[in-house]
Amino acid sequence: MEEIKRSGLRGRGGAGFPTGMKWSFAKADPKFPKYLLCNADEGEPGTFKDRPILEKNPHLLIEGMVISGYVLGSEYGYIYLRGEYPAAADILNAAIKQAYEANYLGDNINGKGVKFHLAVHQGAGAYICGEETALIESIEGKKGQPRNKPPFPVNVGAWSMPTIVNNVETLSNLPYIIEIGGEAYSNIGSKECPGPKLFCVSGHVKKPGVYELPMGTNLKDIIYIHAGGIRDGGKLKAVIPGGISTPVLPADAIDCAMDFVAMPKAGSMLGSGAVIVMDDSVCMVRVAYRALKFFEHESCGKCVPCREGTDWLRKVLARVEKGKGKDGDIELLSDIAEIMMGRTFCPLGDGAAGVVMGMIKHFKNEFEEHIKNGRCALSC
Amino acid sequence: MITLTINDKEVTLEKPVSVLEAARQAGIKIPTLCYHEALKPYGGCRLCVVEVERMPKLQTACTLMAADGMVVKTESEGISKVRRGILEFLLINHPLDCPYCDKAGECELQDLVNKYGPTVGRYKEEKRKVPESHKDQIFARNMERCVVCTRCVRMCNDQQGASAISIMGRGNHSRMEPFSSDSFNCEYCGNCLTVCPVGAILSRLYMHSFRPWQVDNEVETICSYCGVGCSLVVQVRDESIKRVIPRTGLGVNRGLLCSRGRFGYEYINSQDRLTTPLVRKNGKLEQSTWSEALHIVAERLSGIKRTDGGSAIAGIGSPRCSNEDNYVFQKFIRMACGSNNIDSISRTGYAAAQKYFEELLGQGITTNLIEGLKNSEVIFVVGGDPTAVNPILGLSIREASRRGAKIVVLGNAKGLDRFKTLQVVPPVFREMEVLEELLVGVSGVKGARGEKLDVDKGIRMLSDTYSGSMDIEGIEELKQTLLNSPSTSIVFGMDLVQRANGHRAVFAIAGLTYLLEARLYLLSDRPNEQGLIDAGCVPDMLPGGRPLDIHDFKRKFETEWGGPIPEEDGKTLFEIIEGARNKSVKALYIMGDNPVFNLPDAQYIKEALQALDFLVVQDLFLSETAQLADVVLPALGWTEKTGTYTNLERRIQLQKKAVNAGSGMEDWKIISEVSGKMGYKMAYSDAEDIMDEIAKVSPLYRDLTYREISKGNCLWPYHGEPLRGEIHELPAMVDAASDFRADFYLALEKPLFHSGTLSRRSPALMKICPEPTLKINGAAARKLGLHEGNRVQVTTAAGSSEVPVSIDDTIKDNKVLLSNNFEGQGLFSLLTYTLDPVTKAPGIEGCEVRLIKI
Ligand SMILES: Cc1cc2nc3c(=O)[nH]c(=O)nc-3n(C[C@H](O)[C@H](O)[C@H](O)COP(=O)(O)O)c2cc1C
Ligand code: SF4
Ligand code: SF4
Ligand code: SF4
Ligand code: SF4
Ligand code: FES
Repeated sequence: MEEIKRSGLRGRGGAGFPTGMKWSFAKADPKFPKYLLCNADEGEPGTFKDRPILEKNPHLLIEGMVISGYVLGSEYGYIYLRGEYPAAADILNAAIKQAYEANYLGDNINGKGVKFHLAVHQGAGAYICGEETALIESIEGKKGQPRNKPPFPVNVGAWSMPTIVNNVETLSNLPYIIEIGGEAYSNIGSKECPGPKLFCVSGHVKKPGVYELPMGTNLKDIIYIHAGGIRDGGKLKAVIPGGISTPVLPADAIDCAMDFVAMPKAGSMLGSGAVIVMDDSVCMVRVAYRALKFFEHESCGKCVPCREGTDWLRKVLARVEKGKGKDGDIELLSDIAEIMMGRTFCPLGDGAAGVVMGMIKHFKNEFEEHIKNGRCALSC
Repeated sequence: MITLTINDKEVTLEKPVSVLEAARQAGIKIPTLCYHEALKPYGGCRLCVVEVERMPKLQTACTLMAADGMVVKTESEGISKVRRGILEFLLINHPLDCPYCDKAGECELQDLVNKYGPTVGRYKEEKRKVPESHKDQIFARNMERCVVCTRCVRMCNDQQGASAISIMGRGNHSRMEPFSSDSFNCEYCGNCLTVCPVGAILSRLYMHSFRPWQVDNEVETICSYCGVGCSLVVQVRDESIKRVIPRTGLGVNRGLLCSRGRFGYEYINSQDRLTTPLVRKNGKLEQSTWSEALHIVAERLSGIKRTDGGSAIAGIGSPRCSNEDNYVFQKFIRMACGSNNIDSISRTGYAAAQKYFEELLGQGITTNLIEGLKNSEVIFVVGGDPTAVNPILGLSIREASRRGAKIVVLGNAKGLDRFKTLQVVPPVFREMEVLEELLVGVSGVKGARGEKLDVDKGIRMLSDTYSGSMDIEGIEELKQTLLNSPSTSIVFGMDLVQRANGHRAVFAIAGLTYLLEARLYLLSDRPNEQGLIDAGCVPDMLPGGRPLDIHDFKRKFETEWGGPIPEEDGKTLFEIIEGARNKSVKALYIMGDNPVFNLPDAQYIKEALQALDFLVVQDLFLSETAQLADVVLPALGWTEKTGTYTNLERRIQLQKKAVNAGSGMEDWKIISEVSGKMGYKMAYSDAEDIMDEIAKVSPLYRDLTYREISKGNCLWPYHGEPLRGEIHELPAMVDAASDFRADFYLALEKPLFHSGTLSRRSPALMKICPEPTLKINGAAARKLGLHEGNRVQVTTAAGSSEVPVSIDDTIKDNKVLLSNNFEGQGLFSLLTYTLDPVTKAPGIEGCEVRLIKI
């Protein structure tokens, strides 16, 4: 536990919560059994960073989970796997079988008196089930909707027991931390959020893919150096730096360090580290519309601002995008988003509002043109 | 102690509550929609947002726990803007069909928009369209109006425990739907209807027939169906009941109701109601006048009293009538007719068991608060399904189970199937032996308690003669559970009282209650079984449970009542029936009951009544029994008169008049008229006047007034003096039950949706459950090639009937169940009985049955 705290590891699922702190809460709770849930729901558009771990190196994750189980005193782990990853399910199940056979999982691991069992639970395709309390509901067999906090899962989680939910990538960092020590780990990358980070770059770059780089690598470098820059001679227009629910950055605002501390200052968030790169052939109204279509579809329906707000936003955006916008629509969109922002039950609704706010902030002219001309200037 | 500041007002809290509740305590109202005080907080609507110092975002007051030093603001420019915005969101897909919606006028959304909402909407897109569903007989479901607050779902899951509905679909497509899709097919408690804030779930009983503001009278009263005595509110327009609703937090039911209480009220407006007295002329019942009818009754009874003596007259009182009715009735039979032959249908169960329990363990032993069930750690359920007989009491058991109590069931109890922790199912009709085995086992560990020497002696006798242990799964665990429980409640239904030697089951339960220091609850089908006993409607006791054979008591009543009370012992119900058959009873006066239907072996009972010289029946309907009468007198029913009722906790409650009935007279009034004509004057101005007399003459009811009763907390032993009981009869050690080896045995089903004479005249209950079905276990049905809905011929030694089959896998033995709630098809027409020697209840066990698929 001390080693983890010393490492400064922060959760890779999006919120960046200090992992050691989260664990110490769960450990301090005297209730037993405790559950360890691995969040492999990876449903955020643009995000595909956990997939290579799940498919290419499942034993890394299993090892990380065994270590966590040992530290936490948890004997049962589940991997909540995104329903749309059937190949990963097969691979994980095979790996778990191997681990059991090699006695790396079971009642008495390697004869060391440590017990840890692991199973895969496949989701049914709801993005919201990536939110940790919805994930818990879902694993309990209920409808995936977030729970009220407090009580936090570390005290009252799955089956009302202390529960840790950690991202795939977070857990996969553990073997490395144990191997090199917390101190050494904390020297990698940014000071306040150290360690290596997986960045998944998609869109109009020459070399889309998953890059493991030190936390805090400059966004510009990720795009231009690692991912090879904009493809087909295009010109960069905008970047969504951390998955669809993080606010968009215009081309001139991408000189910033990609970590949990610097990104908010730059006007967005690190999120899952899913960098979506868009060149100047992209219509931002259409991007906003597609994003809202996603959010409206994925809203779980629990709270009014998200359930109704995403529906309204999507309908207005659909109209504007088709060139049927009216005067006042931009103000209406801003108003709806503003009411939603910070008032929804969970961050999904905030994300939806944030997309619209960001788009209008940086690309208001495109919305105005759509309304004025009755069509898209890019005729897409 | 937590102190916080809300709107500059300092609030100090006794115990931790949410900011919303803290504000309410301080008289500050925060608008809410998904919150309901009876339900767990949800946090979905976001209307209750408040500003909290040092918290960056607005917080929802319903989910945020108040903390010491918190500074909260519930109103501000910013907050108003958010609330306005949320309400605008709620309306974008809402049909806004208030002029057409039944909820208008009491709709929370309408009120909120009126107070906090926008005056114009900016939504120009298409609205979500979902057609209103009328596929259920009772509820209309309008999902365009649904605000997805989940109050209905939380109610159905967390309070009712039926889990019949859910929010289907996701996000913007969320809608409430029953799991069975079209029809609700549930327990029909209607509690979801109570909590729906909008017009999304509506009752079809009164759809489009009135507006909430058109109610011209609203009366808080109690339910007329069972022994729980739930509080409810009757809303009246033009002298007719428009609807029955509960009130959150009110009464023993705390704002919940069951199907009978909520939807069973229509019988009172039934076309079948008697409107004038009927008199038999030339063998036919003909309409008559009050003066003629009362004259004939007084004349004939006086004549029989003169020629054959008072003991040739008998009376049957009613557990559906009030304390006052029953008090006046027994006084009339004793004083005007000169007979102690007075009993009631309750002899078939409750009265029989209750008396024996009190004899064994002392008066008041069955007197426990329903609330107390929730705090038990073990609840032992025997002899019936509490969730069907006394649904609201059943909910307390479910609640206890949610709180972690162990629910152990002996026999079948469908409504607890998902709540029980242990179920022991003995071979048919051998539950009694299991109870005795438990008692012997428990006493083996606990030893004699030494408080009730007679009971200790009885247990010792039982232990001495007890041979061998039964090899039944779960019995040892059951014993250990009871022995290890720090607080036990025993819920005892009447099924085991109605056995050839039912008193042995009663003794075993009494013994367990005594040794385990348990709380004992008797299930009670009818609203005033306890009150009827306490009012003196039993052959051997005067009002207040005073034994007739104790001279001092008798003397006191004789002074108060101004005349001698007959010496001769009275007859119990079945002795009255026998008396009618052998002509020792010549006249029978039945107030508010239907023995031909409500007693086993209908044909036998009918013959007995036909053998009488004179039969008077006072009722609401021309019942199977009234059809045999010489004079039929139309009475007033529930909501038409005022009176007190004593529930199974022995709480006395006021049932109030709400409408002016067109015809009929109060039961007590009819009786005092007859009494006067027979020369024994009874001059009561109203029911309260009668209660004043009861309070004067009966030491149990000393100083009791309507004022006190109407407060709802009138609990045993009031201000009175209960008697200490003394044992009369130890269990007769009859041979163990014979082997029951037939394939199937017929037994009584107590259905949730019916009570009998009243419920089958309530259209809503008839819609929910239109005909009797034979309940049979799935495996057994398969063996007979029977499928759900197939018709079978059910044949017993006493007769045969044709009914559809309904598969019920919660029946775990080879009983088949049939209810006794439908005309012409009652189970009781298929059963014969033998009397228990001690309790005098009818034993209806071992009824072999043949089933043939039609
Ligand atoms: C709408 C929503 C979706 C989320 N989806 C994911 C996801 O797919 N994977 C994930 O690891 N975390 C996801 N999260 C974050 C989790 O709630 C949680 O913070 C995370 O699993 C914690 O793990 P970490 O501490 O290792 O980051 C999501 C959060 C929200 C609000
Ligand atoms: S913001 Fe509300 S409706 Fe949206 S996903 Fe979260 S809880 Fe569900
Ligand atoms: S009527 Fe009662 S049982 Fe039926 S859905 Fe409503 S709450 Fe549930
Ligand atoms: S039906 Fe009524 S109570 Fe149920 S979710 Fe909809 S609005 Fe709420
Ligand atoms: S539980 Fe009994 S008293 Fe209560 S509503 Fe139902 S029938 Fe009436
Ligand atoms: S009342 Fe608090 S969120 Fe609905």
